[in-house]
Amino acid sequence: MAGFEKISIKDLTKSFSDTNGKRNLIFEKVSFELNQGAVLRLSGASGSGKTTFMNVMSGLIKPDSGSVLFGNIDITNLSEGKKDRFRAENIGYIFQTFNLLSPFSVLENVYAPLAFAGKLPENYKDKALDSLDKVGMKEFSAKMPYHLSVGQKQRVAVARVLFADPPLVFADEPTASLDRNSSELVKNTLLELNKKGTTLVLTSHDSIFDDIRPDVDFNLETGVLS
Amino acid sequence: MKYIFILKAVLHSISHRKFSVFTSIFAISAAFAFLAAIGCVSFGLAATAVNSSLAFPLVVGPAGASDTTLVMSTLFNTDKPAGTLDYEFAGKLASDERVSAVFPVARSDSYMGVPITGVESAYINEISKGFWDIDPMIDAKDIFGGKNSDCAVIGAKTAMRYDMSVWDTFFGSHGTVGDEDAHVHDFKYKVCAILKPLNGPEDFAIFTSLKSVWEIHKHGHHHHHHEDAEDEEHDHEHHEAEHEEHDHGHHEAEHEEHEHHHEHGEESADGKITAVLVKTKNPVFTAALEREYSENGFTSATDTAKTVRKLLTYMNKAEKAAGFFSYGTLFLVLIMVFVTIMTSINERKREMALMRTLGIGKLPISLMIFLELFFISVSGIAVGTLGGHTLLAFCKPALDFELGINMEPFFFTEIELHGIIWTMIAAFVLSLAAMIKIYRMNLVEEIAKE
Repeated sequence: MAGFEKISIKDLTKSFSDTNGKRNLIFEKVSFELNQGAVLRLSGASGSGKTTFMNVMSGLIKPDSGSVLFGNIDITNLSEGKKDRFRAENIGYIFQTFNLLSPFSVLENVYAPLAFAGKLPENYKDKALDSLDKVGMKEFSAKMPYHLSVGQKQRVAVARVLFADPPLVFADEPTASLDRNSSELVKNTLLELNKKGTTLVLTSHDSIFDDIRPDVDFNLETGVLS
Repeated sequence: MKYIFILKAVLHSISHRKFSVFTSIFAISAAFAFLAAIGCVSFGLAATAVNSSLAFPLVVGPAGASDTTLVMSTLFNTDKPAGTLDYEFAGKLASDERVSAVFPVARSDSYMGVPITGVESAYINEISKGFWDIDPMIDAKDIFGGKNSDCAVIGAKTAMRYDMSVWDTFFGSHGTVGDEDAHVHDFKYKVCAILKPLNGPEDFAIFTSLKSVWEIHKHGHHHHHHEDAEDEEHDHEHHEAEHEEHDHGHHEAEHEEHEHHHEHGEESADGKITAVLVKTKNPVFTAALEREYSENGFTSATDTAKTVRKLLTYMNKAEKAAGFFSYGTLFLVLIMVFVTIMTSINERKREMALMRTLGIGKLPISLMIFLELFFISVSGIAVGTLGGHTLLAFCKPALDFELGINMEPFFFTEIELHGIIWTMIAAFVLSLAAMIKIYRMNLVEEIAKE
């Protein structure tokens, strides 16, 4: 994990036009800073724009205005190719559902993003198997995603994050479909990563995360930053 | 590694849409198999026609006969002759110093729908490449000589189809199979020889002597009886017995009904022939003789090479028209495949968005779609082309036996090669269009909007 000292969100605004052409403002002129290893909690009701904020922050969706600086790199100004490489190398994702790519096996899912970015480390297969071992999924390494339960898929997504060891992790409702044990595993892994200096962007309605004190809490429903 | 992943994703997508991929490949293959068939069959027909036209450069027939009738009724045995000429005319033609040989022919009856043509022994010597079987008592060089006027020389495929062998006998029928007025003549033919295959229309013919043709029409009026088409399908070996069973008293009444058949002049009456096949000493003489015998008011003449060329031009047009229909079908099939793939993209949007999220670039994702569409198109072309030609190789004996089309199943015609090139170009363009569409889509934003 190389990382960047600071993430600076400056005057970030995003809106979508609905089918009638009416402009719906999702968030407006949001500015804050996150130090390496900080926790950003995104809150608000479903549909308030938490996932959209994550997508803008990771460069997947262009903001209407504003910038997202990782150190001195403004992701909003990078070319598509550079953004892709940046995401593959620096950002890990854990979603509520739909975490794995169906064409690839469990093991391949762990190292696919870095393979596409051409950044596979030496002994990548052993390292990927180690990551799967940490989440109790090593024996499923040759299976295809459709053979796995939702909880098992979530564990593989966690193993993918462990393998890539990115400086920033987005966790979007990571425990919403999981049983208590799996939820604990995901939470502990995220905390462990955070302790090692990984910046965490988290959205969750699960009380399991209540004891985590975020450095920044941004409520997209009210627009309040605290 | 990246490209292995891309190929894996393409194969996975194909294997998860087996039915639509199979129908797409099948549709393209079918169009290509059709193109292969058009090419090979028309080339086979053209080759047969050209071979036949080389043997006899000139055909002379009665006045009023068209070029195609002259050629089709003599060299190809398919058309009915337009009238008759006196046999003496052939002798007169033979004495012309520009002529090297003449072969008078007289179209007579048919047996099981196979035309029986009266010829002289010289004609058999001219066309024969030897005999599969021959009556040992017969002089192979003068097959109809002496008392052999009832001899019949059978084309190889006719012999195979009707299981005919030397010493078999059969009766000729006036009219063809299926004619309501078909009736059997009293003249009994005896199979004297079976020709080796010539890969031409002669394989489907029966030849007999001119004398036998004249004999039938001299006496035959009073000695024929009805035969249903179904009866004609009976084994020829039984015909003699069947013939005996018929009541002769019956025949005279029937004679009244059918006399008109012998008056319309499409067959050779006593001393009459229907055409003369001519070998000339050089092509300049062929042209001069054609002109002379077309303009004298008594005969018609045609340069066979010219007429066959005309027929081939028409055939070529038909081949091209069929080819264009195939091209049109192919294009529609490709559009269908394109639409199917684009529709499937909607189903895969989430997965593609996840790929983008995980840092997999737009180019590899759109390349997957390009390869998928291009793979289906190329597979269709390959399966259709190879499958079509292999199928033709399997069908070759049947096509040869049933229709006399002697084709080369693995011959690639221009129309097929153009089809392959144009389909590859169209598939490439459509695949590229799909790739560009995916490349320009912001999948994550589209899903966010949903």
